[in-house]
Amino acid sequence: MPKPILTIKNLTKTYGQNVIFQNLDLTVNEGDTIVIIGPSGTGKSTLLRCVNLLTRPNEGQIWLDDLEITAKGTDEDQVRQHIGMVFQNFLLFNHLTALGNVKLGLTRVKHLSDEEATEKALHELSRVGLADRADHYPGQLSGGQQQRVGIARALAMDPRVMLFDEPTSALDPELIGEVLEVMRKLALDGMTMLVVTHEMGFAREVADRIVFMEKGYIVEEGSPDEMFNHPKFDRTREFLWKITELYGKKEKEAE
Amino acid sequence: MKKYLMLAVALILVGAMLVGCVSESTSVLDKIQKAKKVSVGTSADYPPYEYLDDAGNKTGFDIELMEEIAKRMGVELEWVDMPFDSLVAAVAGGKLDISISCFNYDEERDKIVDFSEAYYTTEDAFVVTSAFAGTISAPEDVANYKVGVQSGTVQDGWLTDNLVSAGLLPEANLSRYERVDQAALDLANGRIEVLMGDYVPIQALVTQNPDLQVVYRGVLSTGPINIVLPDGDTALKAEVDRIIKELQAEGFIDQLALKYFSE
Amino acid sequence: MDFGQFLSYIASGTVYTVGVTLIALPAGLLIGTILALFYVYGGKAAARVMNLYSTIFRGIPPVVLLFILFFAVSKGINLSAFWAGSLSLGVVSSAYQMEIVRGALLSVSGDQLMAARAVGLSRMQAIRYVVLPQAVRLAIPPWSNEAAIVIKDSSLVYALGVPEILRRAQLIGASSQQYLLAYLSAAVIYFLLVSLTTRMLNHLEQKLSIPSNP
Ligand SMILES: Nc1ncnc2c1ncn2[C@@H]1O[C@H](COP(=O)(O)OP(=O)(O)OP(=O)(O)O)[C@@H](O)[C@H]1O
Ligand SMILES: [Mg+2]
Repeated sequence: MPKPILTIKNLTKTYGQNVIFQNLDLTVNEGDTIVIIGPSGTGKSTLLRCVNLLTRPNEGQIWLDDLEITAKGTDEDQVRQHIGMVFQNFLLFNHLTALGNVKLGLTRVKHLSDEEATEKALHELSRVGLADRADHYPGQLSGGQQQRVGIARALAMDPRVMLFDEPTSALDPELIGEVLEVMRKLALDGMTMLVVTHEMGFAREVADRIVFMEKGYIVEEGSPDEMFNHPKFDRTREFLWKITELYGKKEKEAE
Repeated sequence: MKKYLMLAVALILVGAMLVGCVSESTSVLDKIQKAKKVSVGTSADYPPYEYLDDAGNKTGFDIELMEEIAKRMGVELEWVDMPFDSLVAAVAGGKLDISISCFNYDEERDKIVDFSEAYYTTEDAFVVTSAFAGTISAPEDVANYKVGVQSGTVQDGWLTDNLVSAGLLPEANLSRYERVDQAALDLANGRIEVLMGDYVPIQALVTQNPDLQVVYRGVLSTGPINIVLPDGDTALKAEVDRIIKELQAEGFIDQLALKYFSE
Repeated sequence: MDFGQFLSYIASGTVYTVGVTLIALPAGLLIGTILALFYVYGGKAAARVMNLYSTIFRGIPPVVLLFILFFAVSKGINLSAFWAGSLSLGVVSSAYQMEIVRGALLSVSGDQLMAARAVGLSRMQAIRYVVLPQAVRLAIPPWSNEAAIVIKDSSLVYALGVPEILRRAQLIGASSQQYLLAYLSAAVIYFLLVSLTTRMLNHLEQKLSIPSNP
């Protein structure tokens, strides 16, 4: 029996008159990698931010394991510890070294001693292949390296689920590979992941399910094989064709 | 002037505070006598009334006079230096017991502080030699001649503000001297035609030198000067006025005028 | 009186100039920082109050506040001229420093705060450990400017009779009739004080700068 880690029911989010999505349902099982795709402005980032309680949904519920995190009186800070988030623009803390970035949550949130935090942070940095860059500041790292530090920072908190919001779309093509490689390894290690990306190679190879969102609705979801080879809707086929074309070109340029 | 505008704002506030404080009607005089100390404000940048000597100590006509007044009150004198514009507000606000700084009576100021009797009237005089052939029927007429004055004095200020700035007296025709006796020397040898000064030392000069004569005497620069006292404090005012009269009767104040307005 | 005496008389007012600055500037920083935090993170009502505070105290000429504090308010609490002057300059400066800190807080982007919260830091922790340390660095150059202004504004306490540099220049200028020389000496001392301070703050800025490859 697959065990759901993240359960989203009837989720609705509006900004003023602007309905971003309505009655959205999604379940993420333990160890699964779910890839969300969809055109710009569809509400993918908003969905991730709702899951992380960085914005409050208007209606609907979200459970993390058996805990309803959208319930009134939930300790948001407590919840966020268990949900790792990786941003499109990395968003490393600019005034801290790579090590400092990873340690901050460990010392301030998990209250580890300095020694324990350092040890744990170095371990996470070596997981993303950056142990030798521990005392570099973000400004001294390449985009790919920064994003890997961002991943290590999230991983250090031992999250139940990792959210990725277009983790490679701000990167130069030649730097995308190293980040995807880290994510692939994570997925293989059994991490539960919810990934917004347009890297179709990654989706095809790593995703357990692909979710296609458009205009605030989930149009279609299924295994990579179903989605790429036998999509139910023309819109899905069209969109997949478009981005494969677009990103395929980029990949070629990078080679 | 911006300064005065700000002062006015502050004064209004002080006034408002004072209205609230009328109830405590004990005289500042009691306080002074109990503490055996009077705190007096002055703006020590106005020679020869109040200024610093070479050693950096306060000196001048007002300074020495106030020291004598304090002595006769039997109390110690504590000087507080403050810019002229702040002195009235400081007395009104109770920060100072008294201010002495060549103050003229002024209706606006009188609303928030009191004034003592005038302790001195700065009268100005023009003096010429017997060789002088011109006529001076009004003070402004001196603009037609070569004029001498002790530099930095209130008379210097009057000539500069009223004649030189107005374009009546060419700057080249105004000679400024360190001391009045130097000016008198130049008057005698004809380098200047008219000498302006405080009436008291000018009169002393004329007594010594019969060739000189006063052609004008009147209040131009400063006029009567008074000590600034807390508003409505009749006891303190009576005491200060009494001592001033005493000092005037003894000739003490004229002595001081001679000392400070001629050298 | 020789020139050496002259200069040393004016220079001895430096104690007061430095003293007033050393009270006004940190007091302004403390108040300004706290108010800026309320301004940026305290919600709309707090922002409106802070905006009013800023408008009032940047609008009042410092010397007026000085007079109010010394001649009116301090009737009750009996502040000395030195303290009344230092504190009113501190209050005026706090309004400017609030704007400096606020600007710095705002330009450390809201994204940094979001990233910190995503790790699980509370709002207070995120501000304390992520936003403030970066804002401080951004605030140093405009703060250096404000420091220079406070040093020069400290001369305003002369209005209360504090014998600082400017007042001493006036006094010795009057007694010697060498006004030009007196004010020039004062200007030289102010110049030295301001350039020394600016240098120290430049040094601090460099020391705190975050390493990066161009
Ligand atoms: N804080 C906000 N206030 C108002 N509107 C917002 C806010 N954040 C996002 N939106 C709007 O919500 C819609 C969905 O935005 P979102 O960023 O979730 O889309 P997305 O699917 O992630 O798009 P992209 O591929 O460009 O990242 C957009 O129209 C956006 O303008
Ligand atoms: Mg997005």
